[in-house]
Amino acid sequence: MIISSSKPFNEILEMLMDKDAVYIVGCSVCAAKQHVGGEPEVAEMVSLLSDAGVNVIGGVVAKAACSVRSCEYLRELAPNIEDVTAVLVMACGSGTSNIARFVDVDVYPANNTDSLGAMTGDKVIHHLCAMCGQCSIADFGGICPTAQCPKELLNGPCGGSMDGKCEVDPEKDCAWELIYERLERIGRLDLLEEVRDAKDRLVK
Amino acid sequence: MLSTFNDALNSERFIVTAEVAPPKGTDLSATLGDAELIRGLVDAINITDNQRAVMRMSPIAVGKILMDAGHEVIVQLTCRDRNRLVLQSDILAASALGIENLCVMTGDYTTKGDHVGAKAVYDLDSVQLLSLISKMMGGSDMAGNELAGAPSFTVGAVSNTDVTKRMQMLKLKKKINAGARFIQTQAVYDVGSFKDFSDLMDQIGPNVPVLAGIIPLRSAAMAHFMNNNIPGIRVGDEFIMRMENAKDPIQEGLEIAAESIRELRDMCRGIHLMPIGGHDNTQRLLEMAGLYNR
Ligand code: SF4
Ligand code: SF4
Repeated sequence: MIISSSKPFNEILEMLMDKDAVYIVGCSVCAAKQHVGGEPEVAEMVSLLSDAGVNVIGGVVAKAACSVRSCEYLRELAPNIEDVTAVLVMACGSGTSNIARFVDVDVYPANNTDSLGAMTGDKVIHHLCAMCGQCSIADFGGICPTAQCPKELLNGPCGGSMDGKCEVDPEKDCAWELIYERLERIGRLDLLEEVRDAKDRLVK
Repeated sequence: MLSTFNDALNSERFIVTAEVAPPKGTDLSATLGDAELIRGLVDAINITDNQRAVMRMSPIAVGKILMDAGHEVIVQLTCRDRNRLVLQSDILAASALGIENLCVMTGDYTTKGDHVGAKAVYDLDSVQLLSLISKMMGGSDMAGNELAGAPSFTVGAVSNTDVTKRMQMLKLKKKINAGARFIQTQAVYDVGSFKDFSDLMDQIGPNVPVLAGIIPLRSAAMAHFMNNNIPGIRVGDEFIMRMENAKDPIQEGLEIAAESIRELRDMCRGIHLMPIGGHDNTQRLLEMAGLYNR
């Protein structure tokens, strides 16, 4: 799942302040699950922005912002979307970018997109995959250091972890601590002996 | 220095290396002055590379300048600030300038330093960088292209000394296999647990000289600070008590360091001095440890 969080309302308001007609598009997949782009959030945004004096002419929740296929589909969802001067997308960055392909007006993000992660119950887990395009997660027992170690170290930890926590964020476990524990648990410490070559940084 | 660091590694004698920081700015007087304080006392001077992610002059430039001033140098190279292209061109530059010794490390994260918004690169890790240097010494670049002239270095790496950190020890083994010819360690305050480390080194790198890190304590507060903030450092209660009760904490810190050095002498090939604030007391420390005029 794509992990996103809402931008502060004031930032959104500032972006839309001088727009004549704004349409809001949410997303019923990741964003809805995380309460940053589902029905209730879109409805709330419509009323908050209207109260703040922005001319919002409608709001809709797309099935998935990242799989909207055409302008026609958008028009079906939101017949008056042609008349707007700005669209506010309450989805992740890729959803926002996809919508921008189909509307020839300013498109604004309501969210900040953080990472590819997971959500179990109400618990959000960040940075599980960094989309490197050469998945080698099995070498690390299913815990990806490219995504979870800020230094992306493939051959073991830096010297900076303290009490099992990461040098960069003491709130987070050192990815390599987790990898070691897991490989020990599943009896695959042998995987750690091998030298892992640097990945090709694929063109983005 | 009459002989090179490599000669020292190949000799039987107890080795001393010491750290000097490049300047923040163009004025080299403090750096040169600090190096002058240890002229003739050490086998080589390590020059730090944007240590703790604080921006300073390139250690390659400072390495050349210290060499011209007659010092033997070890240039440190971190993975934090350079992608594989610049790592390689810097390695070739170091070679062209006559630098013979490198010490590679991952590098503290950018947010630890004075440019917190900097992009943290880490294109390679320290094991991959060691392999790359070995490959370049063999005559080709990382992509496999032939080099017109291969560099030649004595390359080392760093390590913590806590053998209970099994994953770090596994990585140390990889560093040795990837070409680390010497190891400089984090500061040691617990000689007993260093013994375990030296036993482990006997297994994973019996021919790889270890230089034990030494940072003389300056106060009890410094000991507490390091215990709470510096990974891999553990100052025991006994030393902290001694520092608390000392009339002259600087002198007490030097005495503790000198005692540690005496005890470490049989367990490693040398020491690596990283005094906070420069080398004003380094000569005194080496005298106290019986290492002056080795
Ligand atoms: S190796 Fe890591 S970053 Fe790359 S695709 Fe697999 S999980 Fe994602
Ligand atoms: S402490 Fe662990 S997770 Fe954090 S940067 Fe170092 S190796 Fe990576």
